[in-house]
Amino acid sequence: MSEGTLGIGIDVGSTTTKGVLIDTSGKILASHLQNTGASALKAVEQLLEQLSTESGVDPSDCPIIGTGYGRSIVELAYKTVTEITCHSIGVHSINSEIRLLIDVGGQDSKVIRIGRNGRPETFSLQDKCSAGTGRFLEVMARVLEVSMDELGPLAMESKSPCSISNTCTVFAESEVVGRIGSGDRPADIAAGVHLSMAAKIASLSRQVGVAAPVGITGGVALNPAFRHYLSKQLGQELWVPENPQLTGALGAALIALRGQNE
Amino acid sequence: MSEEKPYRRLESQDLLQQIAFRHGLEAMAASEEGRLAWVTSGFPVEIPVAMDVFPTYPEQAGAIVGASKIGPEVCGFAEDLGYSQELCSYARASIGSTDRPDDTAMGARPTPQALLACNNICGTVLKWYDAISEMTNAPVFLLDTPPLEREQLPHHRAYVRRGVDRLVEFLADTFNTKLENEKATKVADLSSQAIRLWTKVLKACANKPSPLNCADRFLTMAPVVSSRGMEHCVEFYEALLAEVEERVKGGVGAIRDEQTRLLWDNIPPWFTLRFFNQLAARGVGFPADTYTHAWSGAVEGSDIASILDGVVDVYSNVYLNKGLEAKVDKMCELIKDYDLDGFVMFSVRSCKRYSLGQLVSKEMVTERTGVPGVVIEGDMVDSRLFNEAQVQTRVDALLEMFV
Repeated sequence: MSEGTLGIGIDVGSTTTKGVLIDTSGKILASHLQNTGASALKAVEQLLEQLSTESGVDPSDCPIIGTGYGRSIVELAYKTVTEITCHSIGVHSINSEIRLLIDVGGQDSKVIRIGRNGRPETFSLQDKCSAGTGRFLEVMARVLEVSMDELGPLAMESKSPCSISNTCTVFAESEVVGRIGSGDRPADIAAGVHLSMAAKIASLSRQVGVAAPVGITGGVALNPAFRHYLSKQLGQELWVPENPQLTGALGAALIALRGQNE
Repeated sequence: MSEEKPYRRLESQDLLQQIAFRHGLEAMAASEEGRLAWVTSGFPVEIPVAMDVFPTYPEQAGAIVGASKIGPEVCGFAEDLGYSQELCSYARASIGSTDRPDDTAMGARPTPQALLACNNICGTVLKWYDAISEMTNAPVFLLDTPPLEREQLPHHRAYVRRGVDRLVEFLADTFNTKLENEKATKVADLSSQAIRLWTKVLKACANKPSPLNCADRFLTMAPVVSSRGMEHCVEFYEALLAEVEERVKGGVGAIRDEQTRLLWDNIPPWFTLRFFNQLAARGVGFPADTYTHAWSGAVEGSDIASILDGVVDVYSNVYLNKGLEAKVDKMCELIKDYDLDGFVMFSVRSCKRYSLGQLVSKEMVTERTGVPGVVIEGDMVDSRLFNEAQVQTRVDALLEMFV
């Protein structure tokens, strides 16, 4: 297959590494998601193997763009592009109406205002502190003895969420332990945790300026309680793509295909 | 020949090194002679210079500590004494190096006989100089310049003028000297000449390509900060201006392939000036910044009274002593005059006075100029607060907006 007819995007995130292989029309031929683990390099190798097995295409024949915090580790990539641009382009290709994109990943969160051309106009990143990221929910799920998949549905059972501080994961964890000690219902505590995190992300969004329609991506977009509370905080419906964890890799693949950013 | 670098070295840098060396020797001699004062960067240095008191700048020493990549270590000396990591890293570097001068190569200043602080740059300077006073027994003089939101009102001017008069008395008493007309007018004249030359150098950067990049200006600003009112300062800027004009005439840029022109806001991260050089390799230059433009007010005057009035005006109106609106105006003006594509705001953990309000001013500047900007976080001396990967992502994302 000749170069330029396919494109691969690899998004090396702090928690998961994602890859997308697309054809010339932008159709996804193969995609894969796996834990990044201790070696981002190994994760990328495994990911490329998986894409190759799924599609029958040799990745070394395709232009590859690396993105995400570990973007520089993608050795086969001819170029790296930030996740901010990649998410923007990826989301725009699926829903060109989206003006504000909220991406909540494992260890950072970002809010991007997308221009009509699909490129970021302005953005704000939160990567100094784990509050407001997937890590916050992971810590709270562990304390509440539920899996990450169960945490959101548990919170949705609540009618009166507890109040939880949104300033710091460590302090919030102590608060949750305190709530457990005072006999609060796990569902109410879980709801409080989501409410607190939604308030943090809503504040980051207001920093950039809320412009409708609003989309949400990243692993945390899969959590129904987080979407529910964030939607209430922003007073906006939230659009979620079918695979919210793959939009960064999709954007990277599109850039590879189109030779954008040249 | 070695590999061609993406940026060009200034020949004036050799002269700069000589001046820095000479300044260091003179400071040592002045200390031994009992006429050395430590001064803050926004202090009306023309007055001590005219009264034969030699100035030296702990903030510059902090920059040297940062550039020597010993910031965390020297700041750590102050932290060992109980000072918080939240304290300004210039103050920590200064207190740390005063406590352990033998462990601070180049960073320690000779023992002062007086400490001259002006709070037009921040309020930390007073407590910082108090701490140094406890360590060295040198007395502190504070020149109080209340912040200006708009125009300077007459009562405000009169208040600062009383402070300036008291400064003259303080120096006369402490150093057994006096302010004389001839010396005062000469020093004011030399100071104005240096400022005018420096301003011309800065303005030349509006040319495309810009003859100087950020790192060039951060280095060559040293004399205008430390040696205003001295003859060698004027000589240096004459040489620098000649080199800059030569570059402009020949269409020679500070970086070899200037594609993108950005504004820099705030003090630089002294420990990684290579940040600018790495961007230079990608065709990104910084023809203007708010920091080096802060030394732009010339003290004019034909006699002592008018010079002291000039001092009141110039030193009350420094960039950091004004409100957010003035800062936004300045940034917009620089973006327009230097035809810049975007801006990078460095949020410096140490410098609250400079960094507070940046998120708001970023929005205002973009709204008024239409160019995008980004805020990056870190510190000027304490490299522990600078996460290169996080900074890189933000700057890369900004650059991707220009494609």
